[in-house]
Amino acid sequence: MFQNFRLSMAWLHTWFGLVLGFVLMVVFFFGALSVFDREIDRWAIPASRFEAQPMPSFDTVLRPVFETMQPSADRIEQMRDKVNGPLPERFTVPTRWGAYTTHRDPVLGMFVGYEVPNAKEPETYIFASRTIDPRSGASLPDDHLKIGSGFFYPLHYSLTLYWKDLGYWIVGLAALIMLAALVSGVVMHRKLFRELFTFRPNKSRQRSLLDLHNLTGVVALPFHFFFAFTGLVIFAGIYFPITHTQLDPLHELHEQLEAQETGLPHERAGVPAPIASVDAMVAEAQRRWAAKDMAGEVGFLAVQHVGDANGYVSIYRAGTDRIALTGEGIHFKASTGEVLREDPPSTAVGSVNEFLTGLHLQHFRHWLLRWLYLMGGLVGCVCIATGFLFFVEKRKRQHARQNSQGARIVDALAVTTVTGMMLAALGILIANRLLPDSMPLGWPERGAMERYLFWGTWALAMLHAGWRSGPVAQERQNPAWREQCVAVAALAIAAVLLNWATTGDHLWRTLSLGYWPVAGVDLFMLAAAAIALGAARKLKQRGAAAPATRHEPPEPAHA
Amino acid sequence: MLDACLLLAAFLAAVAGMGWLALAMEPHWEQACGQAPYQPALAGWLRRLGAAALAASLLLCLAVDHASMAVLVWFMVLAAATLVIAFTLSWRARWLAALLPGAAARA
Repeated sequence: MFQNFRLSMAWLHTWFGLVLGFVLMVVFFFGALSVFDREIDRWAIPASRFEAQPMPSFDTVLRPVFETMQPSADRIEQMRDKVNGPLPERFTVPTRWGAYTTHRDPVLGMFVGYEVPNAKEPETYIFASRTIDPRSGASLPDDHLKIGSGFFYPLHYSLTLYWKDLGYWIVGLAALIMLAALVSGVVMHRKLFRELFTFRPNKSRQRSLLDLHNLTGVVALPFHFFFAFTGLVIFAGIYFPITHTQLDPLHELHEQLEAQETGLPHERAGVPAPIASVDAMVAEAQRRWAAKDMAGEVGFLAVQHVGDANGYVSIYRAGTDRIALTGEGIHFKASTGEVLREDPPSTAVGSVNEFLTGLHLQHFRHWLLRWLYLMGGLVGCVCIATGFLFFVEKRKRQHARQNSQGARIVDALAVTTVTGMMLAALGILIANRLLPDSMPLGWPERGAMERYLFWGTWALAMLHAGWRSGPVAQERQNPAWREQCVAVAALAIAAVLLNWATTGDHLWRTLSLGYWPVAGVDLFMLAAAAIALGAARKLKQRGAAAPATRHEPPEPAHA
Repeated sequence: MLDACLLLAAFLAAVAGMGWLALAMEPHWEQACGQAPYQPALAGWLRRLGAAALAASLLLCLAVDHASMAVLVWFMVLAAATLVIAFTLSWRARWLAALLPGAAARA
């Protein structure tokens, strides 16, 4: 089919890169923002703008909250066709209570899993979740969207397409293709080291774009490779769902054997039992960690088989000081507080898995690495975006001659996924500052409204990009690039000003208080505004410099 | 504070290391040093110096963090340093001559 291996790699890289590049762009951009998800949450929920808190007292703060938590209306709605007969008014048999926190969380996320009576499948649970202020135990309104961890982050790994888990599969496929694109890109590039430092902004546009594409692809190659790979590892359970398809009986048996081995009951006993003081268990767990020279805070706390004689409490140490998320789990009998089991050190396979997962999810404390991850993600975005632009530049002439719309369409989609996506991200932040605290009757709830406005902004940006794309078919620039750059700058500045107007937290104040989560988000948006304005100016100069583009002797085809 | 200084030093070592590696390449040497002739022998030394600086950067990272974390930090620091050098070469190539104290740079 192809004359040589390199040409076949080029074909693969070009076409797979083009099709899945749009998905990868979303994954990279929102992945990069998710590095600072907790900080974006602070910006979006002003009531949560205080210092990070340790896990609060279970007995006085958490337990009363757990006891009142019930699944939300839409969760119940989703459950309807998974049961025979009606659903109960209240769910009464909690199978699991859990709370997870990190060194960057002022507020605490809690969840309860309830057994669903009359479920069609065994082990069907319905979940309730809530966020509290751990200092007082007061609940935050459920409809206030945590834009960082509750929206940008899920966008990153699932595109928020939950129907049949479609989003996970698309992202997984994109990650797999990305690994292929990296390998094929290296094969095509050939001068990996010789041109490692090469970016020639003053050469032809094709040359400069390809330089930038290669540069951003190569410098962060280990980052790109590891993140695509570890992303796939994290969701391996979704991509290879063997435990709940072919091997279901074996899986069940394994769970029972594991329960025998660990002494942690797999089933409820059916005998009610009270819960002893969990605070005392936490103190004991911390004493044991300290004795192992690993003193630390609680990261994850869970009660299994709540209120049953077989109930047990699991307490995990927060992985603030290392890559793994949590560890050193200690399990107590819920009714007595006696230690049932102390998790042994992870096996080799276990630690590799924890390392790979932790490397990607980064709940550890290392601000430099956090910023470097952000850089890696944005460099990845530049790599993909320059890939699109190179594709367009290379074909624009030919398509203009042949009256083909190909380059025009790809360019419009590139506008949509580069500047359009930034507009959407800014749109949701602005909506967050402008919508009333609770929506009037008959409207969707606040968090849902914010999401609709995000998609609405993005759709508008797409329409605009398509509407203005005519010139590309005549080998000229799409004015939407410049116009959307100006819009990005305007919205970014508006978001910072709205934050000031609606919360009083202007930059001067957040900076002098050293409240970096909010100051950082504001500064980041201002930096984006400055870059967008700079880009708009450059594009204007170039547009004015006449469509007569300089044509240097064409380079040998790379893509 | 000490950790922050060590990490800064690791970053600077990586930038210098990448800078030396770039100067060891003929096209970049010409960009940075203009008329001064490119000497393969000097390039060999620059390459060794560059590699040593990158190794020093890794050691500095290891001094701050647990090995598993330090390696991640190092890889990302290398990426950042490469970008710094590449963009310097694009817009202010002459600045790289600052990495060559002494006669070699001034010719």
